[in-house]
Amino acid sequence: MAGSIPGSDLAEGAAGLPRPAAEPVRARRWKVLRRAARARLAPLGAAVTLLAVLVALAAPLLAPYDPLAQDLGDTLARPGRPHLLGTDNVGRDVLSRVIWGTRVSLVAGLVSVALAVLAGSLLGILAGYCGGRVDGLVMRLMDAVLSFPPLVLALALGAVLGAGLTGVLVALGVVYTPTFARLMRGQVLTITARDYVDAARALGAPGWRIAWRHVVPNAINPIIVQASLSVAFAILAEASLSFLGLGIQPPQASWGSMINAGRGYLQQAPWIVFGPGGALFVTVVGLSFVGDAVRDALDPRTRE
Amino acid sequence: MGRLVLRRLGATVPVLLLVTAGVFLLLHLTPGDPIDVMMAESVDATVKEHLRRELGLDRPLHEQYAAWMGRLLRGDLGRSIRNGEPVIENVSRRLRPSLELALCAMAISLVVAFPVGIVSAVRRNTTIDRAGATFALFGICMPNFLLALLLIFFFGVTLRWLPISGYTDPLEEPWNGLRSLALPAVTLGLALAAVVTRTLRSSLLEALAEDYVRTARAKGLSEWRVIWSHVLKNALIPVVTVLGLQLGTLIGGAVITEYVFALPGVGRLVVDAVFARDYPLVQGVVLLIALGFIVSNLIVDVLYGWIDPRIRSR
Repeated sequence: MAGSIPGSDLAEGAAGLPRPAAEPVRARRWKVLRRAARARLAPLGAAVTLLAVLVALAAPLLAPYDPLAQDLGDTLARPGRPHLLGTDNVGRDVLSRVIWGTRVSLVAGLVSVALAVLAGSLLGILAGYCGGRVDGLVMRLMDAVLSFPPLVLALALGAVLGAGLTGVLVALGVVYTPTFARLMRGQVLTITARDYVDAARALGAPGWRIAWRHVVPNAINPIIVQASLSVAFAILAEASLSFLGLGIQPPQASWGSMINAGRGYLQQAPWIVFGPGGALFVTVVGLSFVGDAVRDALDPRTRE
Repeated sequence: MGRLVLRRLGATVPVLLLVTAGVFLLLHLTPGDPIDVMMAESVDATVKEHLRRELGLDRPLHEQYAAWMGRLLRGDLGRSIRNGEPVIENVSRRLRPSLELALCAMAISLVVAFPVGIVSAVRRNTTIDRAGATFALFGICMPNFLLALLLIFFFGVTLRWLPISGYTDPLEEPWNGLRSLALPAVTLGLALAAVVTRTLRSSLLEALAEDYVRTARAKGLSEWRVIWSHVLKNALIPVVTVLGLQLGTLIGGAVITEYVFALPGVGRLVVDAVFARDYPLVQGVVLLIALGFIVSNLIVDVLYGWIDPRIRSR
């Protein structure tokens, strides 16, 4: 296992590279991107992520077979030609199903985190801005959500919302909301204590304008960091729920449900499990490299 | 110390109220009639009406909540509609395998994480350190159901060393019991080990840079003594934090692990109840798990105060 992933020492990885010389002042965005790219694993992660996005977008073009087409004359076929990743117990092409499953995973990861960012930020701003009772109520509510183990909460919500992608997206959105609400509230509290907010207030700027022009832009970095770290976990969570049978329903292809369906054929046809399993693992590793790189680039504490 | 416990308990009360309200409302989130969802269409209408009355669904919401809370305070969590037994009994029967699994997983994670974490920090930037980092990355990104299936594939199906499903109580048959828990415990323990390794390594590195380490070395202590009696103790606090933070993930992981290995634990009970649409059982078990989670978090908080006196006074 050693050395299977080159340069896995993210923090110290930049030491061997030539230091970039003092650069002329450029747009802040560029600096952030450069800093993110300096981590040696970031390009690898970015490549994997980009590939996953492309596969998801071009699934109908890339998939060699119809992901739902059964061929009962050709079940449990070994990987090779014409089925590169073999076929499953009803003769469906595993590769095609893995390709289509990429869509489900990415949509689940991105949309559920987007929901959580939106809801959490709004609640956090509300709590931080209003203070007092509103603050107390909102934050106790978030504490209550955090009192459930995430997967158990998602399972319970998924159970009552009904199986399927929408139920999973909402359930995961709820699960991740408190993290963003807490972050945003903390940011709002520190930022509204700054002098420039006092100055804006003294100039007569209305509350919403201060929130939009001063608080949100300054609070956004930690939110971006947390969001980029959360996507990988949301993808894992969706796969777990689908694996347990709550998420995407068969015959529609999702990595988690494919792995669950292949469980019974581990001995005769391990590729049914390890095809989508490999895709899931690689995607999650790639996304977490990107998340780490974004954190290193945006979080002042980890800067050199 | 007593003040810390009291304060933490006080802060828990409103959260507990909201948690119970949330679990109560769970049943009412169902799109459509929960009775129709729970029972097949073919079931007799009078049976459905009976269940509706038993669950109190024919009464206004606030009355339902008051009645439900009243029963809850008397320790009555309701009955499963599948086997008719009280939720408490359903759970207590399943508690032992879950606790045994959690303990074994915890033990495995610490046995793996401490040596790897310490060696990685002491031999920083060597091949050993990189191997440790790769292991941690692997453990964190690997979905536990996939790890479970990999382990089943190698140790159960290919090598045939260990049983791949089912449960034998280690208290009755120690050898077979531990064998039946081996793969599930490794599945659950490895992810935790990965997180603990990472945390331990970085907190050790931080502690190694402190002045008191230089003092200890300067007075001629062996490197081993320095690590053992000066560095390790101070590096433990972040590890406890992370263990506390990982509790939720651990419980979720246990749900999946019990499902894959057909262990008759509480996690398996949740999944079964969800799929049987046994909502009273789902409500009861989820509430009990949340309570257990809240209590464990309280314990972790108090543990902090015990490890680090600075927190007590805050």
